[in-house]
Amino acid sequence: MIPIGAKADPGRTPPPPLQLPVKDNTLRRVSVIFLVIFGVLAGVAIYAVKTINRAQVSSDWVNQTHEIILEVDGVLSTLRAGEGAMRTYLLTGDRRDLAAAREAFAVTTEHVEIAKALTRSDENAHAQVLRLEDLANRRIEWSERLAELREGDDAAAVQEALRTDAGVDALGEIRRAVERLREEQMALLAGRDRESYLQAQKTRWIVGTGVGLNFLLFAAVTWLLRDDLAARRRAAEALRAANEQLDAKVRERTTELAASNEQLTMENLERRWTNQALEHQLRYNQLIVDSVYDLVFVLTKALNVTRINPAVVHLTGWEAKDLLGGPLQRVVRLEENAEEPVLSPAGPIAQALRDGRELRERAAVVEDRRGRTVSAKVTLFPLRDRDKVVGGILIVHAASVSQEGKA
Amino acid sequence: MKKTILHLDDEAEIRDLLTQYLAARGYRVIPASSPTEAMRAIREDKPDLIITDLQLDDADGLEVVDQFKAVLPDTPVILLTGVLIDPHVAEETVGTKVAAYVEKTASLTKLVAEVKRLIGD
Repeated sequence: MIPIGAKADPGRTPPPPLQLPVKDNTLRRVSVIFLVIFGVLAGVAIYAVKTINRAQVSSDWVNQTHEIILEVDGVLSTLRAGEGAMRTYLLTGDRRDLAAAREAFAVTTEHVEIAKALTRSDENAHAQVLRLEDLANRRIEWSERLAELREGDDAAAVQEALRTDAGVDALGEIRRAVERLREEQMALLAGRDRESYLQAQKTRWIVGTGVGLNFLLFAAVTWLLRDDLAARRRAAEALRAANEQLDAKVRERTTELAASNEQLTMENLERRWTNQALEHQLRYNQLIVDSVYDLVFVLTKALNVTRINPAVVHLTGWEAKDLLGGPLQRVVRLEENAEEPVLSPAGPIAQALRDGRELRERAAVVEDRRGRTVSAKVTLFPLRDRDKVVGGILIVHAASVSQEGKA
Repeated sequence: MKKTILHLDDEAEIRDLLTQYLAARGYRVIPASSPTEAMRAIREDKPDLIITDLQLDDADGLEVVDQFKAVLPDTPVILLTGVLIDPHVAEETVGTKVAAYVEKTASLTKLVAEVKRLIGD
């Protein structure tokens, strides 16, 4: 049992220090990785948006290029249709054919205008369209002249004009111009198509690389978090074990303290019981002494009074405070040495105390406060403490009370 | 179930001490300060043992023991004595009126030993 206030037993092994592996930089690493992931995502997204925008522009350009080709093809086809209708008019004189021819020529002009608008940003193509326009206008003007001649019913002039016509060459030239323009546009289309393919490949690589990189980064984050969780789990387990150990020690110590406390309580009760027993003992002893009718004096070896009983007060009239500490001879004197003070070292009482002897039934005189005397018999018992005489007990048995007092 | 002890003593400190000590030893204690209070307690709750002081203020301890025996003839009685009894008188009384007597100057351990001898734990 460990008493209260005692130091810890040096023989006991102290618990091992709690070691907790702490991953302070895990959060920092994870944050950096997530920043990189978001950076890659943002980069891929921005690149993808730019690629989409570029593709949209490219698509618009392709559509426009196809429109140019359609328009220039339309110039040739409508020009041919117009000339065909015009020849029919020249043959039939039917004004409906003339109207059809003029309508076709109007469509031709429209195609040319559209082609001009579409090629405004391309200087080379625009120049070619302007040349095509010039050629087409010449053919239209020639057809109109033929129509005028036909309206004038000048058949000979019509034939002469037809004979000198360089239509085939003119149309061939127009056709060549159209074909050249078409070929150039198609070449541009092919180049743009190649570019688009390469751009798509590049985009595919970039997106794929970004996604792959992000997967790797996520895997790294997962590994870091898993590692950190494992460390925290180990730390929690170590903490739980340490707490259990601590609880066990606390319980053990509490039990010891409770037992120690109970022992102290019981010892305290025992001590209080002993004290009350001693008090009872002293009280009864005092009662016994106080009940004695004879006078009882407790003396030092120098015959000074240290204690008296109530009978002394009753008979002599002296109070305890008047006698305690004072000489015995104030109240008691041996008759055989009436001339000699009791306090004398040669007196019988002092001698008996020195020798450790009893004195029995010696004749004596007791004097009260008023000087009245009483005959008495005194008996002395040496007071011993472990065989050493420390004083004496004088029992005085008073015989009678004298009416005479000292003057 | 705890054993019940009736303790009669006119001194409060003695009652308090014995109540605490015997309770710590696992007994249920009914303190009483006078014979009247003790008789009332006996009627309400029959004790397994009676401990009574010999010197009471307003009664003689042995007469009080006679009253207890009239009501509970089979219940053992321990007499606690101070210094005002003759050992021979005490020995004569033991076996006739009381089961044991213990001086107040004896230790509490001795008292509990007598209690255990008479009624067990």
